[in-house]
Amino acid sequence: MNWNILLQQIVNGISLGGVYALMAVGFGLIFNVLKFSNFSHGGVVTLTAYIGFFLTKYLVANFIVTFLATAILGGLAAVVIERLVFRPIRRKGYPISMLIVNSITVAMLVQQFFAVTLGSDYYTYPIFIKETALHLGDLTVSKIYLLMLSISAVVLGALSYVLRKTKIGIAIRAASSDISTPSLMGVNVDFVISVAFFFSGVLGGITGYLLGMTFTVDPFVGSMILKGIIASILGGMGSILGGVIAGLLLGAAESLLIAEIGAALTPIVIYGAIILLLLIRPQGIAGRITEVKA
Amino acid sequence: MEILKVEGISKHFGGVVAVENFSMSQGENQISGIIGPNGAGKTTVFNLITGATPVDQGRVLFMEREITRLPAHCRADLGIARTFQNIRLFRNLSVLDNMKVAHDMKVGYTLWEEMLRLPRVRKLERSIDEKARHFLTYLGLESYADQKPQNLPYGIQRRLELARTLMTEPRILLLDEPAAGLNPHEVRGLMETIRKIQEENSLTIVIVEHHMELIMNICSLIHVLDFGKKIAEGEPEAIKKNEQVLQAYLGEEV
Amino acid sequence: MFYLKVLEITSLYTILVLGVYLMTGLTGLFSLGQGGFVSIGAYTAAIAFLRFGVPFPIALALAVVMGAVLGFLVGIPTLRLRRDYFLLVTFGLGEMVRAGLLYLAQLTGGALGMAGLPRKAGLPLILGSIVVITFITYSLKRSRFGRDCIAIRDDELAASMMGINVYAHKMKVFIISSATTAYGGALYAFNILFIEPNLFNWLESAKLIIITFVGGLNSIAGVIAASAIYYSFGEFFRFIDVWRDVLLAVVVVLVIIFRPGGLFQGLSLLPSKLKAMRRGR
Repeated sequence: MNWNILLQQIVNGISLGGVYALMAVGFGLIFNVLKFSNFSHGGVVTLTAYIGFFLTKYLVANFIVTFLATAILGGLAAVVIERLVFRPIRRKGYPISMLIVNSITVAMLVQQFFAVTLGSDYYTYPIFIKETALHLGDLTVSKIYLLMLSISAVVLGALSYVLRKTKIGIAIRAASSDISTPSLMGVNVDFVISVAFFFSGVLGGITGYLLGMTFTVDPFVGSMILKGIIASILGGMGSILGGVIAGLLLGAAESLLIAEIGAALTPIVIYGAIILLLLIRPQGIAGRITEVKA
Repeated sequence: MEILKVEGISKHFGGVVAVENFSMSQGENQISGIIGPNGAGKTTVFNLITGATPVDQGRVLFMEREITRLPAHCRADLGIARTFQNIRLFRNLSVLDNMKVAHDMKVGYTLWEEMLRLPRVRKLERSIDEKARHFLTYLGLESYADQKPQNLPYGIQRRLELARTLMTEPRILLLDEPAAGLNPHEVRGLMETIRKIQEENSLTIVIVEHHMELIMNICSLIHVLDFGKKIAEGEPEAIKKNEQVLQAYLGEEV
Repeated sequence: MFYLKVLEITSLYTILVLGVYLMTGLTGLFSLGQGGFVSIGAYTAAIAFLRFGVPFPIALALAVVMGAVLGFLVGIPTLRLRRDYFLLVTFGLGEMVRAGLLYLAQLTGGALGMAGLPRKAGLPLILGSIVVITFITYSLKRSRFGRDCIAIRDDELAASMMGINVYAHKMKVFIISSATTAYGGALYAFNILFIEPNLFNWLESAKLIIITFVGGLNSIAGVIAASAIYYSFGEFFRFIDVWRDVLLAVVVVLVIIFRPGGLFQGLSLLPSKLKAMRRGR
């Protein structure tokens, strides 16, 4: 077995896995706080992939500026979605299934909107990095992948810090256990939820930008969200760390499998394995089983 | 005959002990109560008995038959009925249908027969309908038959939950905070209703409650829980004077 | 001629919507893998007919059986999962079916799909099917089984406390739903005359769910109406066809917020007089 190629695949896979991890965390944040699966996250990812592209094209072709701008715009988009689409449902006390359906609808809206307006064109981000590969000993690693990986690592690290050390971060974590806790801390619950969505959207924006930059920009970028959701579940709904680990593993596994058995068979194996895992250990890697309160 | 016997049941969630080594015994035609400060584990005890939550340790016996591993719906079929702290009526079904659902398990026709709408099915449906209306009338609810539960006044909803349990042909009723949210007048009505149901249907009843007047008045035996453990058991008079009970409730409104 | 075609397509898709309604409206299960069953039904019938020379009616029956059997097998492990997980597992299964169909190219024609199917599923068959399926759905909903399922949808825990075997009910519904969807897929194959693995992806499955919600979870007539409008719209107004989905999305969001019972929530299959008569009895 050629260890070099294997290692290369793993590194590539982990880089992609970093993006999955970002998605898993972005998704998991909302799941923790509001207890539902927010499919609109995929819509945010697609939206920001396009936004990032247009920023680089019409504003300035600078990586850092457009990257940060996209991230922030992603956060804002998520907040807007929360206000318009989810808050009214929460206010009226409808069952969670309604939230889920609405989130799927938003994802569909974004995808179809772009498919209709811009779908037929191919957009690619400008090339930020000359000389695309890095040579580490025998390994040839794509610089872009490395960039993705490092950005993911930094972002997740920063998020972890925010969640642990800042007041709003703690409020978010408190809200995850019990939605009424923040008010006991003197923080408005709606505000906490908006901030959680903002963070989630920022992660989504980063994801969209990275995906757009590394691959192409098309309306279906957001469908990757499902892999992120799967990673989130595998990691244990509610565990950020679990989501990260699962995301990385998923990326690595996918990469290896594609190399070994081809892109046709890989989905079957991956989804089959995921289903099996869920059946054997429904709480995922690090999650807890939550009981329904009678 | 001992209707219900619980031997040393325990349950933890993660690191938290919800119930520890709880035992009780319930005979026929008895009304007993379970009290304790908030979070003492009272509802969990009900969940363990009804099978909504599996026990970690211990045994549950119903009519002298072990049901510890039996799934919840089977226990309901055997005759264990319960109401809930937060009213759990079916919002998308009418009051009448809510009643019917509780009796459906007892009627024996298959899905195929249903799809073909055989005459036998229609006859059985009629009998379910009659029974549902009968119990609605029994508790004075017949005028609400076609409405949706969420449109009804709170006190009426509570009564409906009670009526619904009767449709399951129960041997034992587990009432979880039946007086919560009722005004004093309604509570007195509730006490009368519970007594009436017990006498006329030869039921045995266990009530979880915070409302002391209710408990002290209609229960013959009281179990007291604190932090998941039973700290006292006895007749109302004895419990009222029990040191440990008073301590557990210190700061609580009695 | 054109109108008949529209009627055909609309009815075809409505059969699929009813399949989803059976599942989501009755027990509250959401499946993003319905597309998988459509494909399975379509391919089973097509392969049986084209490759094995099985007569058309038998091919249809095979599709139904396949749908039911697979529904059962899929249901065994998955129906115990909570709603979100079930949603994702069904998505995974839908993708697996898609990948499988692509991979088994020898049997299925792979990415090129299968063509050369004769037009055996004409308007009479489709309309007849929809009438029967609607009747079955209606019977189920009004029956004891139906109200038990709605109880499950409303509150699983309370339903089990009333003696309802939640798992068994979900399984029965899932099997019926899968069989119906597979049947719809088979009809599709013999009407549209071309099938390929990407026929029905998760987004199309999601659309079926969304249309069901717009129609109203408690109203069969509402669901049929919503489906009829959506799918015929696309045919009549070709120029806004592409915007149709965006419009749908906006409508859905508004409906869920302001009229959660569904756009057509009051609509009933029986005229209201008849209903009142039944109640009076």
